[in-house]
Parts: sequence; C-alpha cells; structure tokens
Amino acid sequence: MSLELVCPAGTPAALRAAVEAGAHSVYCGFRDETNARNFPGLNFSPDELVEGIRFAHAHGAKVLVAINTFAKAGAMDAWKAALANAEKAGADAVILADLAVLDHAATHHPDLRLHLSVQAAAATPEAIAFYADTFGVKRVVMPRVLSVEEIAKLNAAIDVETEAFVFGGLCPMTEGRCSLSSYATGKSPNLTGVCSPPEHVAYSEDRNGTATRLNGFTIDRFGAGEQAGYPTLCKGRFMAGGKTSYLFEDPVSLNAASLIAALAKAGITALKIEGRQRGKGYVTEVVRTFRAAVEAIDAGGTEVEVGRLLAGLVEGGRQTSGAYKKAWR
Amino acid sequence: MPGTEKSIEMTKTGLTLGPVLFNWSADRLRDFYARIADEAEVDRVHLGEVVCGKRQPFTDGLWPELIERLQAAGKQVVLSTLALPYNPRERKAVIDFCRAGELAEINDLTALPTVAGKPFVVGPFVNVYNEGAARFLAGRGATGICLPVELPIASVAIIAAALPEVEFELFAFGRLPLALSGRCYHARLHGLHKDGCQFVCDRDPDGLPVDTLDGQRFLAINGIQTLSNGVEAFCPTPDDLARLGVRRLRLSPHTTDMVAVSRLYRALLDGRADRAETLAALKALDLPGELVDGFTRGQPGSARVEMA
Amino acid sequence: MAEHFRGELPRLLRILAAPAGFLPLGPALTLAVRRFARRKPAVFDRLGDYGKCSFLIEPSDLDISFLMVPDGTRAEVKCLRRRAGQTADVTVRGPLLVLLGLLDGTFDGDALFFNRAIAVSGRTDALVALRNAIEDAELTPADFVGATGGLGKLVDRSVIGGLGLARRFTGSPIPGEPS
Repeated sequence: MSLELVCPAGTPAALRAAVEAGAHSVYCGFRDETNARNFPGLNFSPDELVEGIRFAHAHGAKVLVAINTFAKAGAMDAWKAALANAEKAGADAVILADLAVLDHAATHHPDLRLHLSVQAAAATPEAIAFYADTFGVKRVVMPRVLSVEEIAKLNAAIDVETEAFVFGGLCPMTEGRCSLSSYATGKSPNLTGVCSPPEHVAYSEDRNGTATRLNGFTIDRFGAGEQAGYPTLCKGRFMAGGKTSYLFEDPVSLNAASLIAALAKAGITALKIEGRQRGKGYVTEVVRTFRAAVEAIDAGGTEVEVGRLLAGLVEGGRQTSGAYKKAWR
Repeated sequence: MPGTEKSIEMTKTGLTLGPVLFNWSADRLRDFYARIADEAEVDRVHLGEVVCGKRQPFTDGLWPELIERLQAAGKQVVLSTLALPYNPRERKAVIDFCRAGELAEINDLTALPTVAGKPFVVGPFVNVYNEGAARFLAGRGATGICLPVELPIASVAIIAAALPEVEFELFAFGRLPLALSGRCYHARLHGLHKDGCQFVCDRDPDGLPVDTLDGQRFLAINGIQTLSNGVEAFCPTPDDLARLGVRRLRLSPHTTDMVAVSRLYRALLDGRADRAETLAALKALDLPGELVDGFTRGQPGSARVEMA
Repeated sequence: MAEHFRGELPRLLRILAAPAGFLPLGPALTLAVRRFARRKPAVFDRLGDYGKCSFLIEPSDLDISFLMVPDGTRAEVKCLRRRAGQTADVTVRGPLLVLLGLLDGTFDGDALFFNRAIAVSGRTDALVALRNAIEDAELTPADFVGATGGLGKLVDRSVIGGLGLARRFTGSPIPGEPS
C-alpha cells in the first residue's frame, strides 16, 4: 500500500492548490475555536467546506476535518455543530482530540471515521488501544516526540493506522500538553486553538535592534539585517544558567523527507505536512515535491533519487528531522 | 441546589501535597516526607516520579517505606504515575503503580485501561477541559480530578456543578507545570544528550530559571518539563471554593518550608486567616519566584497576585 | 528599523512609480476596492471584524502612503503624504515590491514574519487576517483595476511578469530562495 500524503489547507484556495499539486488527502478546519489553527482570516465556513469536499472528491482526493481543540465547558455546541457539519459535507474523516468530542462523535455520528489528533498526545500502545477500543478511532497522528525506531515498535503493537508529520512547523513540546502560550497571553492551543496569538505579538525598536514581544515578554531580539523567526514562544531566545540560547528549539522547521522510506518501513500509513497558515505557493511547492518523492519510493527509487527531488526544499532552509532521530532529544 | 451547597460547606476542604516534580535525591525525599508525615497539615500526599522516567530507578525502592511512614501518620497516600511514558520500562512502571493497591493518580491515558472500573484520581496533566471529559472519566471510576492549570475559573465552576459526585481539585501553590517535551532542556543547556544526561537536573531542586533577553523572570526548566517562573498562589476564601464547587487544593512541593505552606493554607481554608494575611505570609517565605495567580482570575497565568 | 530596505526601487524606477501631481489616487483605489468587494464578498466575510481596522501602508521607497479601511463595499482608501503623522490600527512598512508580494500571494502569513524587509507595528493580527483573506481571493493585478476577460489576462501577465523581473532586478527577497 502506497503512502498517503495528507496536506494542509487554510483556505479553499489552498485546498484546490493542494489537490491540484497531488495531495491524496487534505485537512482543514472550520473558522472558529474548534480547530487548532484558529488564526484570523483562515479556515472554512460550512458552505466552503461543502464546496471544498466536492472539489477534492471530483479530483479523487479525500478531506479530513480537524475538530481538534478541547471543547469549552458549558459550550459544547460549537464542537457538536462542527461534527454535524463535517459529516453533512461528506468529510472522509474528522481529526479529534477531546474525550468529550470523541465520545459525542462515536455516539451520535457512528458512520463518521475518526482520527486521533496529535493534540491527544497518544504515544503508547495502551493509550492508542484505549482510543481505538472505546471510540473506534481508525488512525492516530503520532506525537512529535517519537523516534522512527519507537514508531516502528509502536506500529507492531497496535492495529490502527498511524500518520506522521514530515514537513513544516515543529513543536518541541508535546502537543496538547503545553500551556506556555496561555501563561504569557491567556490564549493557548488547547483553550482557543492558537499559540502565541498574533494580537499579542508586538515589535519594538530600540538602540539594540528589534525586540519581539509576546504580551510584554521579550521572546527574541534581532539586530539589523538578522533574520527573524515566526514569533512563537518556544522558538525564542532566552537566558538560562548564564547562557543565552534558543533553549527550547532553534528557529527551524521539520523536514523528515530523508526519512520517508524509513517511516514507510516503520509501518506509517500517511505522511502529514504542516502549514494551514501557509500560502498557496508554499502548499503547491511542498505538496508537489513530496508527491514526487512518495512516488519515487513506491517505484523502488533509491535514496539518492529521492534526495535529489527534495533538494529544492532543503536548500538554504533551517531544518531538522526532529524527534525522529534520537539525537534531537 | 441549596442542599448540595450545604453539604459542601460542611465538608472540610481537602489539602493535597502533590508529587515532587524535581529531581531530589533519595535522602532528600526521605527527610522531606518524614517531616511532612509528622508536621504538615495535609490530609493527602502524592508519591511517585511524574516528570522523567530516567529518574525512576533512583527512587523506586523508596516508596514502600514512605507509604508506610505517611499512612502511619494518618495521611492518605496516592501514587502518581508518569505524565509522558513511552518506553516499555516506563509503561510498565505506570501499570505497576496502578496495581500497587493504593489510590492511583493517572497523568496520561496509558494508565486508564489498568485503573478503569476501580476508584482512581486524575492529575493535572490529563486534558479535562469540559464536563463531558470529566463525566467520561467519572464513568470509568474517577473519584477526583485535579483540573489542568490553564483551565479558566469559569470552566471550573461549570464542570464541578455538572458532577457533584466528583471531588474537584485545583493546583493552588507552586511553580505551574506548563509543558512537557520529548527533549530534555537541562541536558540541552549543558550540551548533553538526553540519553547521557548525567542527571544534571538535580542541580536545580526548584527548577532552573529562564529569563527573557530583557531580564524578565519568565519560565523555569526541570528536565523535560517547563514550569512557570512565578509561583502560583491561589488563595480563595471558603466561600469562593463553595461557589466554585472545588473541594480540594493542591500544594506542589518546593525546597521552601512546605510545612509552613500547608499550615497557611489550612488556616485559610478553615477561615482562621484571610487572603491578605495568607499572601503576606507566603510572600515572606523563601520562594523561587514572584506570586502569580492569573489563571484563577481569567488572566494570563503570569499575572501577578494583587496583594490588596 | 534600518532606513534602507533590501529590494528598494532604484531612484529611476522610484521617479517613474511616483504618482503624477494631481492624480486622485485615493478615490480611484477606494472605488477599486469597493468594486472588488461587490465581486468577491467572501473575501470580506473572511476578514470579519478586521474589515473595520485601519491599515497604514507605507512603501519605504515612495513619498506617499495609503490608509485603508477594507470594510467591504464601504471600504475607503486615502492617499497621504509620507510622514503625515497618521496613526492606524496597524502600520506596515517596506519596499513597494515586497508589499505587493503580500497581495499577489508571493508571501504568506509566515513568510511575512520571516522576511524582515517588512516592519509591522500595531495590531499584527489584523495584518495576518488581511493577508489570509487576500490569500483565498486568488487575487490578481487585474482585480485591482477591475479589468476582466482578455484585458484582465493581459494585465495579469504583464504585471506579474513585470513584478518578477523587478524583484530580481532590485534583489527583493523571493520566497523559497536562500536569503
């Protein structure tokens, strides 16, 4: 079975771009707090989702709808509506994290295929078996803390599909278990579907260059001409133990392209590309490149051939293979 | 429901000493818990390593004698399990702890199949953000839930009201556990690999402060864990807690005088001291950071305590 | 922020790009945005309440700046002298070609931050919203001038081609290329 390429779509235009560039599946979310990329101006209305799914299906691609935040106490209606709208629109699966949302989906939408979001941080056979047995989860997105060897062992011990991130933004923290953003700003992925929200980001210039502040906390400083990272809290520069460093993570993005064959051998079903907040140009380029790489691997291509296909993406970028190689830890 | 409210008022609010989050030596832990057993005004004590599986071999042998010591002193003992288990040894440790015969606290759903069907408690590392998730866990046997630290106080009240049979607990004192990672930040800072970390996290028994480039006190690292630099000091009145439906507060161990902390909170919960007195007394202790309580006021967690 | 941005127009081009003295650029742009809002209302739905924010756009290589409130069919664009002391919810400053890159999809929300050729102050979220809304519009230069059909295609081809050339010519950052 060939690897499935799961690609991001922050907007209907990005969905069309991803499908045309060769995505087997596209994932997207509604324009509200039910999904973990709740950035201003992004995401889909229920009508746009219907239209997007029609387009994807007409081109032989699937659409997975991320409803992967934790429902707000006393206000679960938005999450219930998201599940109902996803099913009505003909979504091929929904990607969930919250016990309450999973429970509701399993009870009220028995025909809807359930995937477990990386936000649920299920990293052991016991936890995965629990989600599969209890809610009928069919696929689990691997937490970005596991090495390829660990994924292989995990896949041998479970009987659901697994999906692994291979490209894009990288959380050094275990996703779904991080409150750094709410400590600084009051908003976080689990609470509101955003991390380091743009409305709390401010740049200010002084004698020492430009400071990037997140709700008043300086998360980095740049001299003139120095490249800036996206102002995410955990990718900032801090002082600890007398040293100034990118303590949590360097401003790099994940690129596990060189590990596609190894991940396939480790039993991964699907490869996921991060970036619902990225533009059409980015989506098109990355999806096209990964699709070519996946096909080359299917055709028994050598690592050299695959490496050549991906060279354009790797060159000049600041990238890491993340936790997939144990040295990252 | 006036009846429910009355029964809550009549029940004494419980005080829990949470698990030690830091890499303390076996000797230090033994001395610490001996004093807790004899002097601390807490009715429940959590034992166990929840942050790093690599630290477990150093303390595994210690727990049986500490369980006995604390139980003999009249404390209820809860065994806390690892928040991020993934290798086979760590997974086995989680399951063994759950089967040890004491009340277990689950901090990851890895433990759920083992504890389901018998009473257990849920730690703040499990994502309970709404009454649906709480109800689901209660249905599996959860008798108590310590809610996630970032959960807005409005949500706490809604969840607690929906499930009066569950004992809800809030993290009230200590550096806030904010994040976990596959990566060890102590090792990274010291230029080491996690597999050969030399256990450098033991140098910072309250965590290592992380400051911004402008010198603001911000976070603290503890191996794979990131905590707040500020020390949470949620000091509610008994009425506040009755309104919220919260029946237990958690104090998280630090090197400061935890017996004194427990006495201050006991007096606060029994109505023998008011909020201002309690905060002033907490502030006078040797603490690793400023007092914060934003999460309990609908603010960013880093918001400082307002003393007035 | 440094006064000289990478990718600024050379002096000759700057003179060519400067508006003629009495050209009523503001009303023309206002009309263009409103016309666009009638044709593609979804873009402005996507923008939501951010449509009521004011955006001050300051091309660092021109002597004028633009104040825009992209409130759908009530949108307004004013053309101002530079350094008029105008305040806005969000101010974005950078070379004209890079600013145009925000509109035509060359730069996305992330690249916006990576690329420090642009300086943003004020409500960063409003700019991210505007950028994301425009992204979905599949906007082309023809949309700005309201050209359709064959004429639209012609406008697009010439402007996009021209932009690409100009970017290379001025060393303006091109996403995906090492910089």
